[in-house]
Amino acid sequence: MSREALMTRTLVKLADTLVDDFDVVDLLTTLADRCVEVLNIAAAGIMLVAPEGELRAMTSSSEAMRVVELFELQSLEGPCLDCYRTGQPVVNNDLTSDDGRWPGFAAVALATGFRAADAVPMRLRRQVIGALNLFRTEPGSLTDDDLIAAQAFADIATIAILQHRSALEAQVVNDQLNHALNSRIAIEQAKGMIAEREGLDMEHAFARLRNHARNHNERLVTVATAIVDGTAVPGSLDPLSH
Amino acid sequence: MSGAGIMLMSGDLPKGSVCTTNGVSEIIEQLQYTLGEGPCVDAVRQHRAVLEPDLARPATPRWVAFTPPAVRAGARAIFGFPLDVGAVRLGALNLYRDRPGPLTDDQHADALVLASVAARAVIGMQADADPGALGAELEVGTNFQFAVHQASGMVSVQLGVSVGQALVRLRANAFADDRLVADVAREVISGRLRFDHRDGQARSGR
Repeated sequence: MSREALMTRTLVKLADTLVDDFDVVDLLTTLADRCVEVLNIAAAGIMLVAPEGELRAMTSSSEAMRVVELFELQSLEGPCLDCYRTGQPVVNNDLTSDDGRWPGFAAVALATGFRAADAVPMRLRRQVIGALNLFRTEPGSLTDDDLIAAQAFADIATIAILQHRSALEAQVVNDQLNHALNSRIAIEQAKGMIAEREGLDMEHAFARLRNHARNHNERLVTVATAIVDGTAVPGSLDPLSH
Repeated sequence: MSGAGIMLMSGDLPKGSVCTTNGVSEIIEQLQYTLGEGPCVDAVRQHRAVLEPDLARPATPRWVAFTPPAVRAGARAIFGFPLDVGAVRLGALNLYRDRPGPLTDDQHADALVLASVAARAVIGMQADADPGALGAELEVGTNFQFAVHQASGMVSVQLGVSVGQALVRLRANAFADDRLVADVAREVISGRLRFDHRDGQARSGR
């Protein structure tokens, strides 16, 4: 497959978040594997920020890279962390002529066989959610085209992840909405049953329901549901004291 | 457009009306609530825009119960757009016009944006609610048809059936008399209409 075709396929794949079985780890694995293929590099990995605010190594295309990334997170130094902190690409870092920015990281990376490391941010506008890390075994620079491709992959994956998160939040809120509405509906139905059985208007039927719930330290919806499903009859509710 | 409304649905069923811009929009939503069919219901079920540019003379007839009263109310073209956030389906945006005719491409695109904004707005209205409670804005602004559920409770006692069956009876009665279920519910609550357990028929009450 041509590089262009592979890039296009990768972008389409990364953008495809509307499928029912969307999985963030699958997406990140695809992102890392395709970076290795398209950019012709030794390894690629992704770090994402967890809800608690700390950066985590989510996926690495090689076990050797994983070791270096974990070291980076423990020692809190390296190109991926700088990239995440600044939200800017940290590129063309030849580790053999390290300028002393990341002495610990450079030593571990070199010992593992890597000679160069780059990182591009996973960012949407001001929100930085992580970094895409690109490791090479040969020193030297990535081309501008390679960097543009890497940033495009990171951008699409970021949007996919943020969309997925927002859909998950919407799901939770929608479930809460339906739950709250079903509780309210049960209460209205019980009011109707009490009103009809006891010859009350809706206001007094509700007062009777609420009074009973308070007296017995039960939730309104619990008493209402018992009336509606027939486990309690309206006549068994405490009478209103006048 | 002549009017618009936002309908909430849960599963395949209408649950309430967040807002309507005029009386016709309100009838369009009430009809769908009463009958369980119409452009919003289809938009949610089919997960896509549902377009009927000529409601009075549709190319393919659909919504046999919904269409005649909707046309009588003044709707000539009607469009339903699902309110989605990702795979979450909240309800539908309904648009109508008092003349037949399709949406332009721009109008169609605008409607998709509006539906997306409305979906986020609904989520926003519920997002800060107390656990187990409806969001304050939804509680105040949305017609959740609580009177229909009160009437269901009353009819379930009158007929000795479950509230679910009682709601079906209310809807059937509304459909048979060409009325809205909200109007039938109001008569039940006021005692003007009662269902007789001996033959299941609705009769004028006290």
